[in-house]
Amino acid sequence: MDDIRSSLDNMVDHFNDSITHSAPKKLLFNRLSISLSDDSASLPKKRRVEQESPNCSLNSTTDSTNNSASDSNGTWKMNKLRAELIETKARLSQVQDQLKQNETKRRMELSLAESKVSALKSQCDFTSQKLLDLTKDIENKRGLENSYKEEARRAKAELAGLKLKYDETVNKLKNEKSQQEQDARDVQLCINNELGDYRRQAQRAELELQSTLKELECIRQRHDEYKARMSGYEELRANFEKQQQSLKVADERIKELEFEIQSYTDWKQVTKVSQERLASIPEMDSELQRLRVHNKQLNKIIGDKLLLEEQVHEYKARLDKEEGSRAEAAALQVKLSHTERELKEWVKVAQDHCLANTLVSPVTLRSRIEQLLQGDIVHVSEKYASESESKQMRNLVRDLEQKIRVYLKNIEDLNMSLKRHKNFKDRLQRKLRTVSRERDFYKQMVDNFDKDLTMSNASVAEMTQDMQVRYRVDVLERTLTGYKDLCTTLDREIQAMREQEQLSDPSSEDYENVKKELDTLRLENDRLRRRKEEQELEIMQRCLRQDIGPPISKVVHLVDNPAAEAYESSKNMLEKLQAEIERLKRHNKKLEDANEQHLNETTTSTGGMTMNFKELNKLRAELESANAKLGKTKEHFMAARKEFRDVVYMLLGYRIDRVGYKSNYRVTSMYAESPDDYFSIALSESNDLALLETPYSETLQPALDQQLAANNSFPPFFSSLTLDLFQRATVTMT
Amino acid sequence: MSSAQATKNCITLKGSAQIIVDYLKYGIHSILFQRGVYPSDKFEATQQYGLTILMSKDPRITTFLQNVLSQTEEWLSKNMIRKVSMVITNAHSKEVLECWEFKMEAEKGDNQVADPSQRTSSKDLTRIQNEIREVMRQISASVSYLPLLDCICAFDLKIHTPGNTEIPAKWGESEAFVIPNAQSVQLRSFSTGLHKVETVVNYKLNN
Repeated sequence: MDDIRSSLDNMVDHFNDSITHSAPKKLLFNRLSISLSDDSASLPKKRRVEQESPNCSLNSTTDSTNNSASDSNGTWKMNKLRAELIETKARLSQVQDQLKQNETKRRMELSLAESKVSALKSQCDFTSQKLLDLTKDIENKRGLENSYKEEARRAKAELAGLKLKYDETVNKLKNEKSQQEQDARDVQLCINNELGDYRRQAQRAELELQSTLKELECIRQRHDEYKARMSGYEELRANFEKQQQSLKVADERIKELEFEIQSYTDWKQVTKVSQERLASIPEMDSELQRLRVHNKQLNKIIGDKLLLEEQVHEYKARLDKEEGSRAEAAALQVKLSHTERELKEWVKVAQDHCLANTLVSPVTLRSRIEQLLQGDIVHVSEKYASESESKQMRNLVRDLEQKIRVYLKNIEDLNMSLKRHKNFKDRLQRKLRTVSRERDFYKQMVDNFDKDLTMSNASVAEMTQDMQVRYRVDVLERTLTGYKDLCTTLDREIQAMREQEQLSDPSSEDYENVKKELDTLRLENDRLRRRKEEQELEIMQRCLRQDIGPPISKVVHLVDNPAAEAYESSKNMLEKLQAEIERLKRHNKKLEDANEQHLNETTTSTGGMTMNFKELNKLRAELESANAKLGKTKEHFMAARKEFRDVVYMLLGYRIDRVGYKSNYRVTSMYAESPDDYFSIALSESNDLALLETPYSETLQPALDQQLAANNSFPPFFSSLTLDLFQRATVTMT
Repeated sequence: MSSAQATKNCITLKGSAQIIVDYLKYGIHSILFQRGVYPSDKFEATQQYGLTILMSKDPRITTFLQNVLSQTEEWLSKNMIRKVSMVITNAHSKEVLECWEFKMEAEKGDNQVADPSQRTSSKDLTRIQNEIREVMRQISASVSYLPLLDCICAFDLKIHTPGNTEIPAKWGESEAFVIPNAQSVQLRSFSTGLHKVETVVNYKLNN
């Protein structure tokens, strides 16, 4: 960076030097010519020529001047020289212009270069900043990297620690698993033992079964024997029955013979009697005839009696008829007399009503009656006609009355409207007056305002300010008083109007409101009356139902009344029935149990091992409970065993595990260096312990071996071993 | 003769009470038969008021009625009874199904005697019996509109007295009963001149 800067500065300086140095430097015409030729290639030839020539001329002039020849040609030369000078001056000016142009160009280039430089500088700064940032980033990232590395280291350490822990837990779990496997094996042993027990039980049951089968066979044999005997007995019974039947037949035969004998004796008696009767036949004949005659006589008498009875009956009927006819005759006579009297009266009536000096006969009477009836009809028709006329008149009268009423109503309405119109007119007049007054007042106000204005306009010049103010105040006070008067008058008018409105006839709206109120009140009145009647009816009903008398009445009844008795008896019945129900339920249960037991007995006696469902369920329940107990005892036992073993291990420093079936024990010390350092000890049948060879036991120190051999006892050996191992362990730790 | 007739027609307060108690007895028996409170084979027919009335043969009912009605007669002769209610209840649930009320009012009688116990009435006994007969006939006719009592029923007689009455032995105070949604029918009333008896039946309308 610094190198770059230095190089750049050098370049700039060089450039500047080149530029600056060029300025004070003398213009060499060679350079000029080169530059001119380079810069303006398109210059006209003339110029070039002129340029070339002045170059030459200049060179020549210098030479000439240097030579300082003064010839007669000197004036011509002098003139030439002057011309050449002028030309050179012109050229100089041109050159100077070109120089200026070049300068400007160079300045421009400079500026460009400077801008480039600035841009490059800025870029350089930017890149330097970038570099700084990047370096910072790099440093930060290095720091982060370090931190992450540290974290990684820590994590790794943690991982290692965790790994250790897990390994330990895995080891523990494996140990536990091995223990549990051993426990499971123990359990299995127990279960196998139990299964053995069950099998023995089953075998015993089978033996029992076989014994029962044998018994059954014996019983069957006996049954067959009994059957044979039974058949013999049955034969004997059949013979016996046959003999009995023959006996019966013989008895019957005997009875028949006896019966025949008896009948023979009876027949004998009968023959005797008939012989006697035959002897007395003639006598009977004579009696028969006599009786026949008597019979005939009796029949005759009966016939005569019947005839006489009929006659009597006929005479009685006739008598009744005659009596009836007599009564009828008497009634008819009475009727006759009555009708004669009536007829006389009718004749009298006819005489009375018929015209005088005419024959009294029905025809005349009829004609008279007809006349009278016709006259009646005529009268009635006249009467009806007059009635109809009177009705018409009445209708007319009613119509007229209605019309009168209508007209009167119209008159009233018109009067009312007239009044209203009058009122309206009065009101309008009053309103007009008030409006006119208002108008006047407003006119006054307007005048006042005008005055005010005019006053202000006119008298400004004349009056002073105070005077103006006072004048204005006066005017305003006057207007105020005017306002107040107007207000009071208006209030008075309003009150008067209100009173008048109240006093005046009600407008149509008020009238309608009053009417509506009246109607509502009437409806309510009716409703209240109806309600009152309903309430009265209800009270009467209530009175009928319950005596709403004074509340101070007692209700008294005999304590020992049938209702209470019935209730008590129903309660007792209920209780009895419930007790009966329970008793029956219990009885039912007992019967069911007895029935099941009976069924069970019958099934076992037949020999099948089919267990009843109930017993099966019972046994299952017992089995489950036994299993549960067993499980619990096992758990207790396991827990106790584990605790005991741990305590022993902690106190004595040795773990004793039972390995295998044959009472082999593995003894491991607390301070053993590895889990493979164990002793294997076997318990023989005679309760002697024998130390078996193990890889660890071979590594034992001979001192300990000797101790064991000498003492022939395990405790001191193990105690010395523990001490030895403990010392070793502590030594290693320290 | 007229005095004998006058004495014959004179009914005292006690006599009036007796007439009313007789009516109550026959009426209650008749109601027990009509409403089927007890089986009909336990009733026997008797003649009274010119009608055949079925009276219960059950000794418990007769003794109960005897006890109640004797006390009623005593109280009635002192005008201490407002009304007698015969309540028919469901034997199991103690629900009141019907209530026959015999309301009693004291009347002035003939004489304007201040002492109420000396009042007499000269109303004809046959007239009173005719009136009672009309009421009994109405009770029999009540079968047509009274609802059927399905359950086993029992009855009780309750007497409404003024508050200051002494309660005799073996009697107890009972609570007032109300039949909800009760229909009531007022039967005819009869009067002995000294007492007026109105009969009302309140029954529960079965919906």
